[in-house]
Formats: sequence, structure tokens, C-alpha cells
Amino acid sequence: MPNNSSSLLHGTLDALILKTLITGPRHGYAIARWIEEATDELLQIEEGSLYPALYRMERKDWIAAEWGTSELNRRVKLYRLTPKGRQQLAVETEQWARFAGAISKILLPA
Amino acid sequence: MVRWLWKKDVDDEVAEELGFHLEMRTREHVARGLDPAAAREAALRRFGDLDRVKATCRDIGRRRDSDMRRRETFGELRQDVTFALRQLIAHPGFTLIAVVTLALGIGATTAIFSAVNAVVLRPLAVPRPDRLAFVFGSWRGNLADVSAGDFTTLAAEQRAFSSLAAVQYSSFNLSAGETPERTIGARVSAPFFAVFGVPPALGRVFAADEDQPGREQVVVLSHRLWRRLGADPAIVGRDLRMNGLPYRVLGVMPQRFDLNAASEELWVPIAFTAERKAMHDERYLTVVGRLRDGVTRAQTAQDVEAVAARLWQSHPQVDAGLHFTTQPYQEQIVGDYRTRLFVLLGAVGLVLLIACGNVANLLLARGAVRSRELAIRAALGAGRGRIVRQLLTECAVLGLVSGAAGLLLAWWGVRTLVALAPQGVPRFEQTTLDATVLAFAFGLSLASSAVFGLAPALRAAGGSITESLKEGGRGSAGAARDWLRSSLIAGEVALAVLLLAGAGLLIRSGLALQRVRPGFDPAGVITARASLPAAAYAEPERLAATFERLVAEVAQAPGVRSAALVSQMPLGAGNSSNGLIPEGKPLAMESVVDTRLDIVTPGYFRAFGIPIVRGRALSDGDRRGGQKVMVVSAAAAAALFPGQDPIGRRVSCCEPGPDGGPDYKVIVGVAADVHSRGLGAKVAPEFYLPLEQVPREAWGWIQRTLYIVARADGAPEALIPALRRVVAGIDPDVPLYDVRTMEQRMGESVATARFNTLLLTLLGVIGLVLSAVGIYGVISYFVTQRTAEIGVRMALGATPRSVTRLVMRQAAVPVAAGVVLGLAASAAATRLLAAYLIGVEPTDPLTLAAVVALLAATALLASFAPAQRAAGVDPVQALYGA
Repeated sequence: MPNNSSSLLHGTLDALILKTLITGPRHGYAIARWIEEATDELLQIEEGSLYPALYRMERKDWIAAEWGTSELNRRVKLYRLTPKGRQQLAVETEQWARFAGAISKILLPA
Repeated sequence: MVRWLWKKDVDDEVAEELGFHLEMRTREHVARGLDPAAAREAALRRFGDLDRVKATCRDIGRRRDSDMRRRETFGELRQDVTFALRQLIAHPGFTLIAVVTLALGIGATTAIFSAVNAVVLRPLAVPRPDRLAFVFGSWRGNLADVSAGDFTTLAAEQRAFSSLAAVQYSSFNLSAGETPERTIGARVSAPFFAVFGVPPALGRVFAADEDQPGREQVVVLSHRLWRRLGADPAIVGRDLRMNGLPYRVLGVMPQRFDLNAASEELWVPIAFTAERKAMHDERYLTVVGRLRDGVTRAQTAQDVEAVAARLWQSHPQVDAGLHFTTQPYQEQIVGDYRTRLFVLLGAVGLVLLIACGNVANLLLARGAVRSRELAIRAALGAGRGRIVRQLLTECAVLGLVSGAAGLLLAWWGVRTLVALAPQGVPRFEQTTLDATVLAFAFGLSLASSAVFGLAPALRAAGGSITESLKEGGRGSAGAARDWLRSSLIAGEVALAVLLLAGAGLLIRSGLALQRVRPGFDPAGVITARASLPAAAYAEPERLAATFERLVAEVAQAPGVRSAALVSQMPLGAGNSSNGLIPEGKPLAMESVVDTRLDIVTPGYFRAFGIPIVRGRALSDGDRRGGQKVMVVSAAAAAALFPGQDPIGRRVSCCEPGPDGGPDYKVIVGVAADVHSRGLGAKVAPEFYLPLEQVPREAWGWIQRTLYIVARADGAPEALIPALRRVVAGIDPDVPLYDVRTMEQRMGESVATARFNTLLLTLLGVIGLVLSAVGIYGVISYFVTQRTAEIGVRMALGATPRSVTRLVMRQAAVPVAAGVVLGLAASAAATRLLAAYLIGVEPTDPLTLAAVVALLAATALLASFAPAQRAAGVDPVQALYGA
């Protein structure tokens, strides 16, 4: 269970998922694992939110899915970034940078 | 292998995906040393509410799939439309012919529909128009106007109407500008505006206390009249001089209250006097009312009939036999035009069907050429449904493109129709391409596409793939295709026969109408109307003296051979009549002969060239106070005194005698019959009274208005300035109006019939040309397809003549079948025209024979050119291919 400090700010999950997919197609479990590893397990993905988010983004055409085969030779649903998703990632990254900058100015004055 | 996701069921998709996730987590925990059961437990705990997440994912997934399917369909549609447009552009010849043919049909149908819409379908611009109704008196089934006395009783005793108004249409001399003007107005009782429920645009309408004698010099203007008077809002409260008296302007009605260009332009209170309200025998009022909510037609009929029955009791002398009949307002206004317009719409629909037939033929020919392309697409995996859908899309695109072109045609056609149409069709001039018409044209375009596209599309998609590929679309399906084509030709010919039969019958009626001898000599006669206002000319003596001076001065004018006055014009709108009872018959309803009354000056018969066949004409000696005389028409003589000499016999009419009994007048002459009610109508009884001897009330019947009739030595138009001078010399405030030569009046009286004939003939010709084009197309195609076969025949010794015959026979069979079908259909359909036919039966053999001959000749002509081409085939070239 993620504690308060590691819970995600609203809207950030989408950006993280998109970022995860920038290196290539992944299935849902791999996305969760990648985020955990990349943040040294500081951020634990709330799995109950991950999958609805994936379906939602698929409907919005930010990511596309197709069935593929996993490392263990199992049928898995693989997500990849669409051009639209790439644009969205840029937008969200930019928003995050501004937000983080603003918070930093208050909490960490030079 | 990768499968497109949307084809998989969402439930399985979610279950499989989440299952995989949980399994991977479990493995993770096992790898960290947990036993499998505990590992699974931990994975599930970590995941949270699995069922809720599943449900959410399924929900989003389903919506995602339906989005996708919609996009897919639109994608295919866009693909099909793009492809269809490319096809149309790639075959400009085909496209041009098809679009022009269809645009003609759709455009003509849309134009006529917009007229139907304007006149018949569009509701009146008043609240709840369906609750408006007229009340007529009726006698033995004949409708009549209502007397002031009967109206007063009806208005007081009826329960069915929430408001009921009496209307008397009447013309007014309006002296607003330099020259006096004559305008149609209406005297109405106060509830009139409440009946229609339309508030005035400016000012107010009159109140009940203004609808009273002595207070009635107030007027409400129509929007049209207000605009003509300068559109000044400050006109409200000012005075307007009408019939020589000042009328205070109370208000102006909105534009939508103008029913049509010929409707009344002002309203004044009718202001019945107490004596008027007691008069039950002068019937001159139109009664209109608004029904209470929830009251049915049957209840209304019962209600007004009860009043009629009471009137019958209380005034047996004048109201015995009276009934009241109600009629929905719009039905009465639109009347006869409904049938006429629907007949036209039907005719133009036939033209559209012929056009569709031609395009279907074109598509069939194209389908033969394209069967290879379609077979390849089918071989590449396109389903049959997909191909049919694509072909239908092509047809719909063709239909819509043609519909757009048709709308342009309709726009032009509507303007032409409105410009050419005879006057007086209610609301016709308001014909426009409004939203209803646009929707109709859109629907019509799609419906036409379905009609001309379905058979070719199914046929194209139904052919065997392998055969089409092998044979390149030639040969084996030929017989069935020829059958379909032949049926189309037969259908087109049948429709053309139907159209031409209708047009032919109307043309024959038109010819018959031209041969009708009107009973008077219209050449060289000028006619005009003059009304003397009540204010300055109240006494009958003054009226009579003024009119007599008028006719005497006109007769003296240079260029005038003879002049006279008459109360109603032959072929005109009015039809005032009286009941005559020949002496010796009982004074009862059964003895009454309903006879048209003309009040004339003695010179009338000479001026109009109406021969006197027995006795004498009226003369200057038939004066007031002398022996009361009349001249009757031959038809009236035959009805009054069948088989006897009417000269010297006496007839009771028009007024009570000196002792309160019947008033007898002596017949002094019999005039030849005149087609007074219209050239197409049957001759009806008619009688003539000298102006000198008419009762005082007669000036009220004719509203102090008479027609001047003058016969010229030369051109009748040359007399117009002289007529105007005479009238202005007698009273400059009296306008001379409705000035026309008698020949103009005759032309106008048949204008509607002519217009109908013109339209139907035009449609018949278009139908004929279109079916000729269809026959030509099919026979040409036949020749092209059979070139090889014809070559063989010629190589085996067939003569060019026999080849021509073979080809012509190909056309003859469907044409003959079509003619038979068309004749059968017209036997049923031309009965619709019966009401408009004069001197010809709906099944007139001569007309039908002419139509058949015309079609046969056209078919022969259309198939002759391709037959000639067939006869010119070079066998060697045909067999070895060029």
C-alpha cells in the first residue's frame, strides 16, 4: 500500500505512463514495475488506478494496444505510444516543470 | 500473430490482462520467498478492489470499442464517397447525362412540391388554424351566404364557437393621394380579430362598442395597404378619407395577416343597425369562427343545426329549409387547388420516375463494364455487402449531386411559376424554397438513388466472380440483363403514355374551350367598373340619375358605337341570382328557378352583341312606374315555361308586390344564352331587369357599383381616356377601376386552365424525350453487345434489312408492353382530371390513339439510328475484332 508521501499528484500518473512507453511497447505489469524501479521503489503505482488509466488513454488515442507475446511466452496486451500520446507527454512534462518550479521557489528559496 | 484488439471481446480482454498482472506479482512474491498461496494473497491485497477495477476497465473498453466502430464506419463511408466522387469525375459523359436527367426530374418535382407546400400544406400564420371554420347557410345542399338576422341569432345561440364573426367583402374608394384609389376591404363584426387571434402590429383593433351604428368610422389597415400609404407608424390616430367620409385609423395588422396578394386590405366595423339585425332574407354575409377547444366537428354540426331548426320555426317565410354547414377554414380557402396541385405533383413525379429509369439503364450499362473491377475487389476479400454498400454510396452521391443541381433548377422554376401563374391562387406567390422544401429535395434525392440504384447494384454484386473474370463481363448474364432493361423501357413508356394521355386530354379541352361561342361578341368591347360612395349618393334617385348621366355621356364620346351598364360581368367572379316563380305555379320552394340576375340599361344587348331571339330587347320606354318587364335567356325561358311561348307570361321575383303578395314582371323578350359563369361551365338560366325598374334595395345588393360596357368603332383600348374623362367630369372622387377589354377578360377566365394545360404538356414532352433517350440508350447498348452475333448473321447471309428488323424488334416488344400498361393506368388515372375536362371524355379514344401513335413514332425514331448502325456492321471486322 502506498503511503501519503508516495501517492501521486492528480494527473501525474498519465504522464508517467506515457513517459514509460517512450522507449517502446510494454504491458501493464511492466509499466508498473518500470515506474517502481525507476524511482527506487519510492513511488508505488496504485494498481487499482493504473489499468483504468490505461483504458482511458487508449480511448483517447494517446496509446494504442495490441496483443503480443511476453517474455514467458504468454499472450499479453502491449501498449505503445501514439503520435497524439507523444504530444500529450510533452504538454504534461512542461506543465509539471512549471508546477515543480513554482513549488520549489517557495519551499527551497535560493 | 498480432490481432486487432477491437475484434476481441472486452470481458476476456480485461480478465486476461489483469490475470496476467496478478500472476506476475505473485511470481515476484514467490521469488522473494513467500509460499504460493500467501504470494497470491499479497498480490491481491496490493491490487485493491479487483472487481471494481475490472468493471471500470470493461466499461471504458466498451465505449472505446463503439467509438472505434463508429470511426471505422465513417472511415469506410468517407472512402466510399471519395471513391464515388472520383468515379463520377472519371466518367464525365456518364455523369453529365445522369446528373442532367435527374436534376430535371428532382428540380421539377421540388418546384411543384414547393407550390403544394405554400398553398396546401403550410399552416396559416395564425394560432391553431385547425380550429377556424366557416359557417354557411345551405338550401337543398347548395351553399349560400348568411343574412344579418340569421347571423345575429346564430351568434347569440350557438355554443360551439368561442368567437364568431360576420364578414362582408366590399370595395372602398380611398382618396389618400392625388387620384382616388379603389381597394378591397371587409366590413367585419368586432369578434373578427379575436377569431383569428392575431394581434395588430401597430395600435389596436376595434372594440365591441365601435361596432355600432354612428361609431363605425374607424378602420384597421393591412400591412400591404399601410406600406402603400407610406409605411408611417404615425398614421395610427389620423383620419383616412374612404367613400367620401373620414375614418380614424386604429391600427395596422402584421404582414403575416395578409393571406395573399388578392385578399382584403382594410377592415371596418360592420355595425348592424337594429333593423338590419331583424332582416332574415338578405343573405350577403360570410361567417367565420373559432371553435372552442375540444369541440368536435360532429358536435359543431349538431349545435349550428339546432339554431337553424329554431330559425326555421321562428321565420318560416324566409328560413324554411335552412341548414347551417361548417367547413374548416383552410380547406375552404385552398379548395379546388388542392386537387389541381396534387395532380401536377403526381405528373411531375412520373417524370422523375422516367428519369430514374434512364439512370438505372445507364448504371446497368456501366455495371456490365465494371463487373471486372468489382470481381477483382471481391476476389481481394471485399464482402458482397461491402460492394453493394459501395455501389449504393455511389448512387447516393450521384443522387445528391443531382439534387443540388435540381435545387438550382427548382429555384429558377419557382420564380418562373410564380411569374406565369394566373392570379388568385391563395398564397401561391409565397412559394419559396424553405426548410420543408429543402428537406423534401434531400429526401427525394436519396429516394431516387434507391430507385435507380438498387437493381443495378444488386445485379452487379450478384454476378458470379469467376465468370466475370473469365468472360470480362460479357455474354452469360446478358439475357437476364436484357430482361431487366426491357422492363425498364416498358415502365418508362407506360409512364410517358400516362403523362401524355393527361396532357392530350387537357389540350383537347383547351381546343374545345376555344371553340365555345360565349354568346356575346367580345371584339371591340371595353369594360370598367365605377362605384358611387354611400355618403354622397345615399338616395336611389340620385344614384340612378348619376349612372344614367354617366352612360349617356360615354355613349356620346367620340369613337363609341354604343354603351350600357350592367351589374355583373359575364365570366366574372360574382354570381348574384334570384329565385323566379312562373305565374300559375304554387308559391313554394319547389317552384323556384334559381336564375342569374343582370341589372342592365336598355343598350346592353346592342353593346354586348347579344342577339334577341324572340320578342324585344329592353327599351328606354321601360321606366319606373310603368309596366314591370324583364328579358330572360333561352335557358331561363325553357326552365320557366317548358315547351311554351314565354312572351307575355308573368314571373314573380325580387321584391314583394304592392299588396304584400308576389310581384309579377312581364317577359317581353328572350335573349340568346350567354356563358356567363365561364366558358367551360354549362349555360345556366339568366334574366335581365332594367335599371330604371329595380327595387330600391337592389342598390345595396350591387353596392352602388356598376360595370360600364362600351363598344368601340376601332380599338377598344382607345376609349379608356374618354371613359376616365367622363367619370372624372361627373365626380373627381369616384375612381374608374378594373378597366379591361372583353377579350382580356375572356383570356383571364381561361388562364388557369391554360396554365395547367401548359404545365402538363411540358411535363408530357419532357417525359417523352426522356423515354426516347432511354430507348435509344438500351437499343444502342444491345447493338454494341451483339456486334459479334450480328457479324455472324451477316456472314451467314442476313441482309441489312433483316438485321434492322431484328434490332427494331428488340425495341418493339417492351414499347408495346409499355403502351398497354400505360393505357390501362391512364384509364384509371385520367378520371382525376374529369373535373377539368370540357367537351371530352377521360377515355377519349382519339386522344389515346394520338398518344399511342406519338409514342410509337418516337420509339421507332429512337431505335432507328442504332438499327442503322447494326445494319452497317462489317462482318469481317465484327468477327475478328477491330
